[in-house]
Amino acid sequence: MHVVVDLNRCQGYAQCVFLAPEVFELHGEEALMYSPEVPEDQREKVLRAVAACPVQAVFAGEQAGAGAG
Amino acid sequence: MSSPETLFRRITDYASRADPYPLYAELREHGVARQEDGSYLVGTYDEIAALLHDPRVSSDPHSRAEPFRDPLALQEGMPVSFIGQDDPEHDRLRRLAMRHFGPPHTPRRVDALQGELVRIAEELADGFGDKERLDLVDDFAFPLPVTVICRLLGVPPGDVQQVHVWADTVVAGLDFTPDEDPEPRRRASLEARAAMGRYLGELAEERRRRPTDDMLSALANDDGPDGRLTQPELMVTSVLLLIAGHETTVNLISNGMLTLMRHPEAFEKLRADPTLMPGAVEELLRYEPPVQFLPQRTPLADIEVGGVTVPKGSPLILVLAAGNRDPRRFTDPDRFDITRQDNQHLGFGSGVHNCFGAPLARMETRVALTTLLARLVGPRLLQDPPEYRRSPVLRGPRHLPVARTPGGR
Repeated sequence: MHVVVDLNRCQGYAQCVFLAPEVFELHGEEALMYSPEVPEDQREKVLRAVAACPVQAVFAGEQAGAGAG
Repeated sequence: MSSPETLFRRITDYASRADPYPLYAELREHGVARQEDGSYLVGTYDEIAALLHDPRVSSDPHSRAEPFRDPLALQEGMPVSFIGQDDPEHDRLRRLAMRHFGPPHTPRRVDALQGELVRIAEELADGFGDKERLDLVDDFAFPLPVTVICRLLGVPPGDVQQVHVWADTVVAGLDFTPDEDPEPRRRASLEARAAMGRYLGELAEERRRRPTDDMLSALANDDGPDGRLTQPELMVTSVLLLIAGHETTVNLISNGMLTLMRHPEAFEKLRADPTLMPGAVEELLRYEPPVQFLPQRTPLADIEVGGVTVPKGSPLILVLAAGNRDPRRFTDPDRFDITRQDNQHLGFGSGVHNCFGAPLARMETRVALTTLLARLVGPRLLQDPPEYRRSPVLRGPRHLPVARTPGGR
């Protein structure tokens, strides 16, 4: 599974970092870092992060990049 | 009777508690409605969202033209919690607290609670035993968040019951019942807050002498880049977290079970596929938000909202639950749809004051509902609508009696 964050939408609520700390990480107060390739054991947590993003900026799927434009 | 000037009176009337949504629809028709007492009610999504991001809108009770008492103040002379402050002071205090709750400094504290949370939920469900009738509030939705927030902060298990009693008294003091003398409840609430503050202050002292790995130890001992919370700030902040982490989640879980039982298809779908639960929790936050409105905002200047000028210093009440059902933002807004897309609800507010505990509330509710769905075989609501708590702000059932077939897993 792949994950993409639309950083133009992201407002730093950090819900994804709470829910999937192995995949999303904050550097400093606002800079979001993430690994686009989601390990199998992190799948469910990433999907929770997608649902929880208050500005709907996180996209996941087998081809997340394709739909995230 | 149905003048828009009386909307707030009608919304807060206890008779409206079970179904305030027609009144919210009426409010949206007006967009912004000036009330007979000079306050302004806002119920449309775009206007609420804009105001929540507007630096001219204050959360500080002192910004009111008419003096306003902070319902969460510990006592005269104590600082106000960050929920009732504006930036930069709000930002400093919130950052000092957030540092020990979440990323970037403590990214795993909430995630690490998950296993224990599941265990607590399972234990509570085991406690149902062979009972054919349950009260989902008293038997489950109430004890779960209290236990979790106490565990997170570091309140010893032996003191949880006492904290519980205090929190209950404080929350009772937040209710407004128009035709009742608020003074006795207000005084009891103030005493409970002061007692809770003293207790947490002493507990923090103890954690300074002997630190453990809970959040209170971290708050009491750490010297981060923003310095340290003073002792009064620490007391006020931890009281805020205890109360906020308590009541709202109880209502989210209870409103959630009530809504799912009223929508058996969604109930069965979620039971069969728990991976749908995160989306369902978001839909519950939109459809039946545990905080219905924010009563404490005040414009710092004359501002224009939806064509109406709201004068500086007047009470501004943002009705989140009305914005969540705004047809201009959500398709078919009165429909409960657990697979709804583009669900940017206002259930946790928005902007700089957005709910601090949202990640914890999401996790607790997901685990709570998943556990209950697995354990309740053939559940039936015994009272619909159920008896509600008094508060129109923190709205939820006081009891949620259900019948079930014992057994299940």
